Amino acid sequence: MANILPSIDSPTSIRRTRKRRLKDLATRHLIGLGGISVIIAIVLIFFYLLYVVLPLFLPGSIERVSHYPVPGEQQSRTLLLAMEEQNEIGVRFSSDGQATFFDTHTGGPISRQALAIPAETAITSFSSATPETRTVAYGLANGEMVVAKHHYKVSYTADTKRIITPEIQYPLGQESFTIDNIGEALKLLAFQDGEEQALAAAVTEDGRLILAALLKEASFLDDEISIELETTTVESAPAHITHLLVDKDQRILYVADSEGQVSTYDVSEASEPELVNRVSVVTHDQSIADIRFLAGDISLLIADSDGTISQWFPVRDENGVGVLTKIRDFQLDAKPTQEIVPEYFRKGFIAAYDSGAIGIFHTTAERTILTDKISDTPLTQVAISPRANALLAQDSDGELHFLTIHNEHPEVSWSSLWGKVWYESYEEPQYVWQSSASSNDFEPKFSLTPIAFGTLKAAFYAMLFAIPLAIFGAIYTAYFMTPKMRSTVKPTIEIMEALPTVILGFLAGLWLAPIMEAYLPAVFLMLLLLPLSVLLFAFGWQQLPEQLRNRVPDGWQALILIPVILFAGWLAFALNSPMEIFLFNGDMRSWLDHEMGIGFDQRNAMVVGIAMGFAVIPTIFSITEDAVFGVPRHLTNGSLALGATPWQTLIRVVLLTASPGIFSAVMIGFGRAVGETMIVLMATGNTPVMDWSIFQGMRTLSANISVEMPESEVHSSHYRILFLAALVLFTFTFFFNTIAEVVRQRLRKKYSSL
Amino acid sequence: MSDNRTLSHGVDMSALKRDSNDKPKDEESTLIEVRDLKLFYGEKQALNGINLPIPRQRVTAFIGPSGCGKSTLLRCFNRMNDLVDGVRIEGKIMLAGKNIYDRNVEVSDLRRRVGMVFQKPNPFPKSIYENVAYGLRIQGINDRRLIDEIVEKSLRGAALWDEVKDRLHDNAFGLSGGQQQRLVIARAIAIEPEVLLLDEPASALDPISTLKIEELIYELKSKYTIVIVTHNMQQAARVSDYTAFMYMGDLIELADTDTLFTNPGKKQTEDYITGRYG
Repeated sequence: MANILPSIDSPTSIRRTRKRRLKDLATRHLIGLGGISVIIAIVLIFFYLLYVVLPLFLPGSIERVSHYPVPGEQQSRTLLLAMEEQNEIGVRFSSDGQATFFDTHTGGPISRQALAIPAETAITSFSSATPETRTVAYGLANGEMVVAKHHYKVSYTADTKRIITPEIQYPLGQESFTIDNIGEALKLLAFQDGEEQALAAAVTEDGRLILAALLKEASFLDDEISIELETTTVESAPAHITHLLVDKDQRILYVADSEGQVSTYDVSEASEPELVNRVSVVTHDQSIADIRFLAGDISLLIADSDGTISQWFPVRDENGVGVLTKIRDFQLDAKPTQEIVPEYFRKGFIAAYDSGAIGIFHTTAERTILTDKISDTPLTQVAISPRANALLAQDSDGELHFLTIHNEHPEVSWSSLWGKVWYESYEEPQYVWQSSASSNDFEPKFSLTPIAFGTLKAAFYAMLFAIPLAIFGAIYTAYFMTPKMRSTVKPTIEIMEALPTVILGFLAGLWLAPIMEAYLPAVFLMLLLLPLSVLLFAFGWQQLPEQLRNRVPDGWQALILIPVILFAGWLAFALNSPMEIFLFNGDMRSWLDHEMGIGFDQRNAMVVGIAMGFAVIPTIFSITEDAVFGVPRHLTNGSLALGATPWQTLIRVVLLTASPGIFSAVMIGFGRAVGETMIVLMATGNTPVMDWSIFQGMRTLSANISVEMPESEVHSSHYRILFLAALVLFTFTFFFNTIAEVVRQRLRKKYSSL
Repeated sequence: MSDNRTLSHGVDMSALKRDSNDKPKDEESTLIEVRDLKLFYGEKQALNGINLPIPRQRVTAFIGPSGCGKSTLLRCFNRMNDLVDGVRIEGKIMLAGKNIYDRNVEVSDLRRRVGMVFQKPNPFPKSIYENVAYGLRIQGINDRRLIDEIVEKSLRGAALWDEVKDRLHDNAFGLSGGQQQRLVIARAIAIEPEVLLLDEPASALDPISTLKIEELIYELKSKYTIVIVTHNMQQAARVSDYTAFMYMGDLIELADTDTLFTNPGKKQTEDYITGRYG
């Protein structure tokens, strides 16, 4: 008998077998490759995020470049060291009235200029305005003041080599100004230059505190500026003044005295200085060692004789008057502080110690970035470069040390990212996200807490809206609906998932939000009326004679609810204005605001909840429906056969068995709500507030990234913190999905032999 | 078709007669009586006017080839067919003198009186204890002592107590198939039904489990009226008192089991039990 099929060891069979095996192998590897590449892609994303974020948390470092004898006159005292932006040229102002420019790397002198100080007049005091302005002022023994500025001209040669030429300028002219009409020496000096006026405060040899306003007037004929000088003697000034500070806006004068007190003067009217208050800033046995402005001239950094440096700024009291308040302390092994040097733009500072060590700190982050010993002898002068990446330090042996600093992200610490931070000009510590402002020396506020909070809040309200609708809808569809209706309803809801979220977002923001604002009582009435009308109708339906009821085929009853729901919706809107008039004095918004003290944002959590709920409903609905529908028939039949009603069967058997699926549906929906971007971007108002109120907006991690990423400078702290936000988001969704999966696996194992 | 119907009428009558004549059992009475039952799946007729008595506290077996309608008929007794889309039923089933298809019959009450065990063991994803207590709980019985008592009684009744008494609160899925099926029987008898419908209760089980189920059926008939559908003719012969042979939606023959297997009244019955088709 001849077989139809070739025998198993015939060449055809062997060829076929080999071919089949090859196909098997190819398929297996292809599928494996697909799966593994997905995992690799996710791991790569994770590591890329980590790679960008990691520098935020690396410690700063210092690199010693060179050291050399102080350029210029060795014998004279250094009044100020400074550098230009490229860290190539440094300048030393010395007590002999000279300014010496030198190469920062070698110490080689570039040029040396004698300042326009009247002959035979000793320099008795010195003041540097805000470092950014590069302006300095000399107080002289005859009561006069000279203002100078170190300036750097940048030019390029033919082969695009950069040439920096330093020079000394006189922004107010070369002649000196008579601050003290009596002619006493100026013992202490504070100076600020501005657009319209310059302001100087000085203490004379005999202890008078003089305020001098230098009003600039441009002449009509040419660009010449003529300066009018007005001096005022401040009455009842403290006796032994040790430090003077004028802020860059020339509004406030801080006067520190030997009693350890700081007096605040309002000098916005230079002719009428006004004492605001006087605050003791150190303990009894201490004195003020140094006092400096932090960049931005809002905070004071005060070093006491014990080596503790504290940050102070005016905080409004109940009368609205700013009172200097201690914000935070920086302590470093009780070494006497020689000098505090603030950074030019960031809220960091450097402290130099008697031991020859320096410490680099950041106020907002409350972080000690590093401490390092630079010299064996005390450091007398320290200068930081404008970009805060280089340091010049002079020790008492007359050696000048040049160092580079690697400290790109001092403002980031665990507390500044997640904790409450007392920011400048705030009345109390708060969680704030405000990454940019108009000025360079603004204090960036990088608290991720309000944004993470906003993410959870948006997701919470979305779930509040979506879970009941999606799950109840899914249960009805899977369990009660006729198969025919189900076959149209289910795909329809699933197709909602394909709706671009940007459309949902702008519908929510531009259409829904204004309507909800205008018909607020109707919205709330609807929340009440809709379920009520459905229940009432169901009750009424039960009372109808059976003949009538049986006309509606089983499972189609839901359809007759549609007009009921439409009517309830219409009724809610029709009742809107009467309700608003009788219950809320005509305007629910202002009623909420005034009577309840609840603020109302047009783009609020309610709008987001509905819009994003709409976006998550298909996900939750679909998975729940599958889970409920997937409950084996023999289980429901078993329950029904025991005399359970369909409702009892649903509650006690179906939902129990479908619970893993329902749980993962909720978790996946939550994960989606957390990661959703377009809807929250367009419908939340993006206000990073921390408030559970349903009438307030929020800002979410995802929206924050999409709003701010385009405007953040690559590799800046802001940029990296946005990546950190992405990492947090990634972790959030990873966490929720993992939890969902683990719980689902465990429950499934429990119910496995179905 | 009409020929068949008259035939089944004839069978019905003669069976009853023969039953009462050959084996007079005074205490025996009819609990369920099927009268001219027709069932349609949409346009297709699945039961062609069945007339059949089910005696009280006896085991009645339905046999017949696949698709003959024996399971469909069984599911009519507790109205499980109501759950199938497009099913239409004519005729009556009298349970203790009342038509269960009457409009005012509450289906869940009927099913409490007529319990059912399915082909595949279907314990709920709950503990053994909760599985048995389920029927009580849905009736609103929450008295812990009463439930404890009934659970033990039912598990003993289903010959499962000794095997599970130490792990009552373990998940029921930990039991073997045969144990699960006995658990399902315990669950069914916990609510003390009058009738127990068994739809091929042993077909998914191994021979030893099957044997245990059969022994259990034998014991249960002292308290319950049992209707069993089976594919297995030996099983029908072993466990039942009466056997009904069905074919193509008709009841061909109903007789006491011994008679049907040893001296069938109809040619079709003989062909089937001698293995000529089915």
